[in-house]
Amino acid sequence: MKTQRLVSLCTAVLAAGAFTACTDNDSASGDAIEVTSTNDECIVSVEEAPSGTLTFNVSNEGDKPTEFYLLGSDEQQIVGEVENIGPGLERKMVVTASEGDYFTSCKPGMTGDGIKAPFTVTHGD
Amino acid sequence: MANFLIGLREGLEAALVVGILVAYLIRTDRRDLLRWVWYGVALAVAISLGFGALLTYGPRGLSFEAQEALGGVLSILAVGLITWMIFWMARTARTLRGELQHKLDLAAAAGPTSVMVMAVLAVGREGLETALFLWAGAKAAGESTDPLLGAVLGLAVAIALGFAITKGAVRLDLGKFFTWTAVLLIFVAAGVLAYGIHDLQEAGVLPGLNSLAFDVSEQIPPSSWYGTLLKGTLNFSPATTWLELTVWLSYLAVVLPMFSRTVRRANDPGSSSSAMTAVPANRGAPV
Repeated sequence: MKTQRLVSLCTAVLAAGAFTACTDNDSASGDAIEVTSTNDECIVSVEEAPSGTLTFNVSNEGDKPTEFYLLGSDEQQIVGEVENIGPGLERKMVVTASEGDYFTSCKPGMTGDGIKAPFTVTHGD
Repeated sequence: MANFLIGLREGLEAALVVGILVAYLIRTDRRDLLRWVWYGVALAVAISLGFGALLTYGPRGLSFEAQEALGGVLSILAVGLITWMIFWMARTARTLRGELQHKLDLAAAAGPTSVMVMAVLAVGREGLETALFLWAGAKAAGESTDPLLGAVLGLAVAIALGFAITKGAVRLDLGKFFTWTAVLLIFVAAGVLAYGIHDLQEAGVLPGLNSLAFDVSEQIPPSSWYGTLLKGTLNFSPATTWLELTVWLSYLAVVLPMFSRTVRRANDPGSSSSAMTAVPANRGAPV
């Protein structure tokens, strides 16, 4: 009985944690931003997006596992990250971003400084 | 191949911890608790796959902040639990060498709850990330089944290694078994702690993400098979921050001596009862 109570507690905590932190997959502005990571390129479909919830669909067309980051204007602070994007996979990264200057970054092979490009978040609605 | 290595890395740590837990229950004659381990594993797998599917196919995604927070909290809980497991094992080693009347302590120390929670955390810590990775493979299966196949094979090899560890550990001499599995777990826990610290640094909760103590990414690329094994078992990161290194060393500096003290107490001569090997001579020999 003790176990059951504990288990249901765990489930509840996990559920609450996950759900309250859930964000809408599709931002108000509509479509997700497409990112294509290859061994030496990081192609982002747009250079700016309205503030709010941003969804990046990152696909790996290289042959090494890759990671994708949204970095702050200092190119260091991590705003969002998705790891373990194996070759041939597409993974989703959801972040809430306010107006400002950012950098996108792909990290093929999971090492090094990454392939960075500036990204602007404009004032939403 | 790359997806195979990711699958392997994600599954190794859980396989290692669960493998040792199972071996431990077998060695201490607590096979009755084994089913609780499997309940725990099944529960963690179900929750992870369920949430993973919801986040992949459902209308909502998990924000980065929430994912990091969840990862950080689960890591710290896992460290606490593995540490507890190490000392629980050390104490039991002592009890086992002692008298039979301590059997009661043994039963009290290892209940279904603790065993199950341990299994849930061991598998659940990286469970969601692994599930998201698997579902990404399933999604891509329309174009190519290679990524999914690689990922599943990697996980399968990790699970097979877990079973091999159980088999090997069960054959070890009892004293060696307790010492080696515990030392291994101490290093696993230290790695998980450092990993949790790194998560919190990434989330911006802790500073120093970019002040690296060392960077051996050139020598040990994280996408190589040896980088994978080191990351999967000990959570070794080729680019380690000063804070991670400090916390890792501090954990070892505290836990290793504590453990060796517990073991030494377990080995003191008082508890090693004399073996009753002498068979009384039989006077009346059959004619």
